[in-house]
Amino acid sequence: MDHLSVLENKSIFIIREAYYRFKDIALLWSVGKDSTTLLWLCRKAFFGHIPFPVIHIDTSYKFPEMYRFRDERAREWGLNLIVGRNEEKLKEGMGPATGSKLECCSELKTNALKQVIKRYNLKAILLGIRRDEHGIRAKERYFSPRDAQFKWDYENQPAELWDQYKSTVYEEEHFRIHPLLHFTELDIWNYVKREDLPVVELYFSKEGKRYRSIGCAPCCSPIDSQARTIDEIVEELRATKTSERAGRAQDKEDAYTMQKLRALGYM
Amino acid sequence: MRLFKKTAHHDKKALIIGIDGVPYTLIREYLDRGYLPNLKAIVGHGHEIHQMNASIPDISSVSWTTFATGVNPAEHGIYGFTALRPYSYALSFPNASDVKAPPFWNILGKMAEGNASTFSLRYHKKILKSRRSIILNIPHTYPAYPVNGILISGFVAIDLEQAVFPASIHGYLKEIDYLIDVDAQKAHHDKDEFLRDLFSCFATRQKVVQHFFQEEPWDLFVACVTETDRLHHFFFDAALDEGHPYHEAFVRFYRELDAFIGDMVAAFRREYGEDAFLMILSDHGFTALRHEVYINSFLHEAGFLKLNPDGQFYERIETGTRAFGMDPGRIYINYRDRYPRGAVDKKEGDRLTEEIKEALRSLRDPAGTPVIDRIYARDEIYRGPLAEQAPDLVCLPHDGYDLKGKLESAGIFGRSVFTGMHTWHDALCIAPQGIAWDGKPSIADPADAIMRYFTD
Repeated sequence: MDHLSVLENKSIFIIREAYYRFKDIALLWSVGKDSTTLLWLCRKAFFGHIPFPVIHIDTSYKFPEMYRFRDERAREWGLNLIVGRNEEKLKEGMGPATGSKLECCSELKTNALKQVIKRYNLKAILLGIRRDEHGIRAKERYFSPRDAQFKWDYENQPAELWDQYKSTVYEEEHFRIHPLLHFTELDIWNYVKREDLPVVELYFSKEGKRYRSIGCAPCCSPIDSQARTIDEIVEELRATKTSERAGRAQDKEDAYTMQKLRALGYM
Repeated sequence: MRLFKKTAHHDKKALIIGIDGVPYTLIREYLDRGYLPNLKAIVGHGHEIHQMNASIPDISSVSWTTFATGVNPAEHGIYGFTALRPYSYALSFPNASDVKAPPFWNILGKMAEGNASTFSLRYHKKILKSRRSIILNIPHTYPAYPVNGILISGFVAIDLEQAVFPASIHGYLKEIDYLIDVDAQKAHHDKDEFLRDLFSCFATRQKVVQHFFQEEPWDLFVACVTETDRLHHFFFDAALDEGHPYHEAFVRFYRELDAFIGDMVAAFRREYGEDAFLMILSDHGFTALRHEVYINSFLHEAGFLKLNPDGQFYERIETGTRAFGMDPGRIYINYRDRYPRGAVDKKEGDRLTEEIKEALRSLRDPAGTPVIDRIYARDEIYRGPLAEQAPDLVCLPHDGYDLKGKLESAGIFGRSVFTGMHTWHDALCIAPQGIAWDGKPSIADPADAIMRYFTD
């Protein structure tokens, strides 16, 4: 079996296992390339129809291209789409320019997701994170318990064997399941190409710039790139030495630290 | 009723009060003016006040880490609030988990096993019994780590939940609306409101310090006041100028600080007697700011630095760059084997270092006054296994010239909202008489005095 098929099989196995153990499960879809790949794998795992809801956490600050893409795919693929918004904080005017970025992320993303989990009484969430995207994520496991405070006690994770995932869940806890953990950024692009998967056009170069990672418009910046096709992106990634998330101001702790330091005249 | 009589050895108690950025010369002046009656009583009562050198560079993260570990940056690994990731220009923000040497409270608490330093090796065999410490608001202790006792992280702590050890004290802090740090951004547009916040932040800080001082058992109590540094950054021009609109507020802050210290020391003496160990210290001094000096603009104009107009921070460095600066006066040579767009071979290093030094020495302000006082090469000041990560050169400016590492400034000189700047040579340490300092004390020395007190 070729490399991509091995990755795909592994992911589909985890997705099916997860659904078997948790009926109250949902997929978190940011509309980015990774969670769109995960969405695609879920469709494959269940032969075209995903038997659980798909959550999009809408901060209201996403790119217009992302909203359009979300709505087109939801229609085309018959998704049971839940849009989660922290309406209370949005009404108060919360945004990256009004408060700290940390606070903005924590209210419009983390708390919005908490509200959805509570409202729908979800026990598990499927996420499209990958081991290679961020230092802290290297310690993630396929099945990852969070406590009621949403904190991730990574030092107390149970030893994980291939098909012995820890999946008993306490009251108030939810499980995070990461079927894409073993994909790299390059694998994702190769898989997108093989499957002819649609992705948001922001990933492709326009006037010498493209987004390598997308989120909220005010907190993302494009990279210099001439890559207008998937092949050109793959070529570019093979040569690059900078990190995927370098353009994301939203590495939250860093953004907050930067803000504190700048207020005192550093940087 | 006590079941066992405490031994004299076990009775040793130490109270350390940190006052961030308080200059020796200002305290001397305020003592003379009679603003600080409590400090005056302490200094006249078995204690001496010393002028002390800060760490190099003289900023809180480096200085307090040096204080905590008793070793120089080449051993603890912290050279600033910012660093670059290995073989890259990607900015990173070191925190407590990057500190490679144990703090003295964990040597005292026997919590430093497996994490030795030249300093800890001198003492760890002499600690027979684990001592309990309360460590409050010391900068660069975030995220909070296990101690035998309690630790609340200071600046730059982001999330209060991660800033406390043990987790059980989070509830209490939340209840009293504890603030890790005042919002300094406010001072940029509303100085009055910032000042109000500063006083109220200090009031909450005192409340927390007094709470743990009274409610918890401890052998070592270390508490730091950050608000002084914040006051100085925005109001230092008001310190001695009686006609300044904020002079009264500035002095009022110092009177409150003096009253707080007075209360703490009185309670300490009442409870533990005259032989218990008291120290009050700052991590660097402050002086009035005359010019901000943008070291990267200087390097750019002198032809050492080439920047791409696009991109973020140090990612903008272009091929052809020979050196770049980081806050406050750190200079790094763009070595080929150290950075992706490195342009300098190792063997050219010495000649380039001399060339940069020469250029820096000739830097004059618009009135023709020299800016740079001293320039140190890495191996003159840093000794230890992490010297490889040190800046190649560090500049110390003359008083009044605040070196800045920002990359986007136009021109070499400027002014902004800040009226005070850090100094290296003018930190202070109030310590018991009779401590044998080796010349002028430096911020690495207090840890030794404290450990000697506990182990002698």
